[in-house]
Amino acid sequence: MIPEALRQPSLARRLVVLAAGWSLAALVVVAVVLALLFQQASLRRFEQALGVLIDNLIAGSTVEAGQAVAPAFTDARALRAYSGLYWTIGEPDAKGGVRTLTPSRSRSLWDSELKTPSDLMARLRADPSHLVAFDAPGPLPGERLRAVARLATLEGRPFVFLAAEDRRPIDRDVRNFIAATALAFVLLGAGLIIAVVIQVRVGLRPLFDLRREVGDVRRGKADRLQTVYPTELKPLADELNALVAHNHETLERQRTHVGNLAHALKTPISVIIAEAGQQPGTLAEIVSRQAEVMRDQVDHHLRRARAAARAQGPGERTSVAEVLDELTHALERVFQDKGIAIDWDAPEELFFLGERQDLLEIAGNAMENAGKWGRTRIRVRAAPFGADRLSLVVEDDGPGLPADQRAAVIRRGARLDETAPGSGLGLSILDELARAYGGALKLDDSALGGLRVTVELPCAQS
Amino acid sequence: MRILLVEDDPDLSRQLKLALADAGYVVDHAPDGEEAQFLGETEPYDAVILDLGLPKVDGVSVLERWRRENMATPVLILTARSAWSEKVAGFDAGADDYLTKPFHTEELLARLRALVRRSAGHAAPSLTCGGLRLDPRAARASVNGEPLRLTSLEYRLLHYLMMHQGRVISRTELVEHLYDQDFDRDSNTIEVFIGRVRKKIGAERIETVRGLGYRLTFPADEADETPAER
Repeated sequence: MIPEALRQPSLARRLVVLAAGWSLAALVVVAVVLALLFQQASLRRFEQALGVLIDNLIAGSTVEAGQAVAPAFTDARALRAYSGLYWTIGEPDAKGGVRTLTPSRSRSLWDSELKTPSDLMARLRADPSHLVAFDAPGPLPGERLRAVARLATLEGRPFVFLAAEDRRPIDRDVRNFIAATALAFVLLGAGLIIAVVIQVRVGLRPLFDLRREVGDVRRGKADRLQTVYPTELKPLADELNALVAHNHETLERQRTHVGNLAHALKTPISVIIAEAGQQPGTLAEIVSRQAEVMRDQVDHHLRRARAAARAQGPGERTSVAEVLDELTHALERVFQDKGIAIDWDAPEELFFLGERQDLLEIAGNAMENAGKWGRTRIRVRAAPFGADRLSLVVEDDGPGLPADQRAAVIRRGARLDETAPGSGLGLSILDELARAYGGALKLDDSALGGLRVTVELPCAQS
Repeated sequence: MRILLVEDDPDLSRQLKLALADAGYVVDHAPDGEEAQFLGETEPYDAVILDLGLPKVDGVSVLERWRRENMATPVLILTARSAWSEKVAGFDAGADDYLTKPFHTEELLARLRALVRRSAGHAAPSLTCGGLRLDPRAARASVNGEPLRLTSLEYRLLHYLMMHQGRVISRTELVEHLYDQDFDRDSNTIEVFIGRVRKKIGAERIETVRGLGYRLTFPADEADETPAER
């Protein structure tokens, strides 16, 4: 059973495993080579020391009555029995081996013989100028010797000079060396793996940053990636930004398309309504009714397209006074015959945090509704409210709205104000827009006698 | 009553022409912006019904040009666009009323009637003061040919100042002239309105005479233009 997290491919794991695998293999090979080199170097030095002993032996030896006579003294250790350093002199035997000569050996050998390999003679003859090395058992139990042999001709007769020494001390040195090296390399390997893990973590951090930022873009917290990424990731970030922009564009195009379609439908619907209105009969009635349904549908979807188009990112600032001034100018013309006076006031430096056309829509609908119902006047006041809110209060001197109908009027699609001219969705649109900006709509009684509409909206700090 | 109907949809045009004729209007029809522009400039109409989405030249541009040329004919805008930003743009261009499609023919006729009645009531000549120009017939003002966007109180204030240009007018006099008897005077001090009008026409045009009131003047560089009433 492999856990889910391990079955999933991971860049970090891949990088760590690759780097660690390679490092460990390299470390093992280096450690083995080092150990072998050390062992060989130790052994060669050991053999050279034995070679010196042999050279002394050869130099001091004489031949008396066909027998090689060794010098009395070669090395202090060779005089002590089983001391670990031995020498002996031999001669080639008939079978190609070496027969050691009994009197011509070190005292340390006592009464034992140095065992020689059977092919020793052949190896010596193959390369007469060099030493030939071999392993041999020692005179003591468990003793292992390293021996060297040299062929020398004394007075016309070939003799084989042999020297051997206990090799266990150097074997111990090599073992100690291997143990120390292994320990050092294991520590080095562990360090490398930790370093690789850290390196991967640090190296991949921009990837985690990228993921976080893409998440922010998706949640609407940011409108594009802004961090400066390393060269390798920059093309990806740029592509992502381009993709985001492309998405925005596509969405915008589709919204515009929906808007255009809806607007294009309005003229034909106008024609149908007008035409059907002039004809008598059931057909005209049905056409009329259906055309009205079509009109409502078009309006509904237009509003949705508009609401969806609202930028969710950091918004722009809109001067409240400017918008109220424009609306007053327009509405005075709309309600010119009624002679409605619009009295507005807003601080010059009050700014709505959002799009101008949305504030126009919010204030416009509120003021138009007030104009429809008011008798002589509308009062509009905007003021900062709390730390980052503003309140827009629109009052009229009309009949007002009973408390029990207020909720229904706000509810989406409710058309309580159908009796007034124009489409009857003003206040529900207002509510929808205010909510989209995290605001609220409140209806109550005005001191002027009519309805008081209070909209709470986000305010830009100046 | 002669009406110019600017509408590119043939069916809607036919219906409206019929309805307008039934209501007793003489109707000229222009199917695109260019023709509307030409007809509006050459023929004397009592009112114009102007669709905004037009081929060749769009309705807002046509209207803006008419207003720049001081054509005072009342204009009723007809459009499929119902957002307030679009309505405000229409009124800023110089529209007198606004009707969103789809509409009932009766409503169009009612609005048109009101529009014609309104404009017929005014017959006063236009007032000028330097580059400032005010047309009481259309209740419209402009500075150096650029239309001004004035609310009714601001318009009344400017009208009064222009009628008495050169004279110092006291605050009391302005208050009495501007506000109705029962109007809520508490918060809207005259200073606020003077400030707003100054912002729109240029601060130097309204001079504050300390302790006395305000006086409408025109900047020295406009002095060579004919300043008197026309």
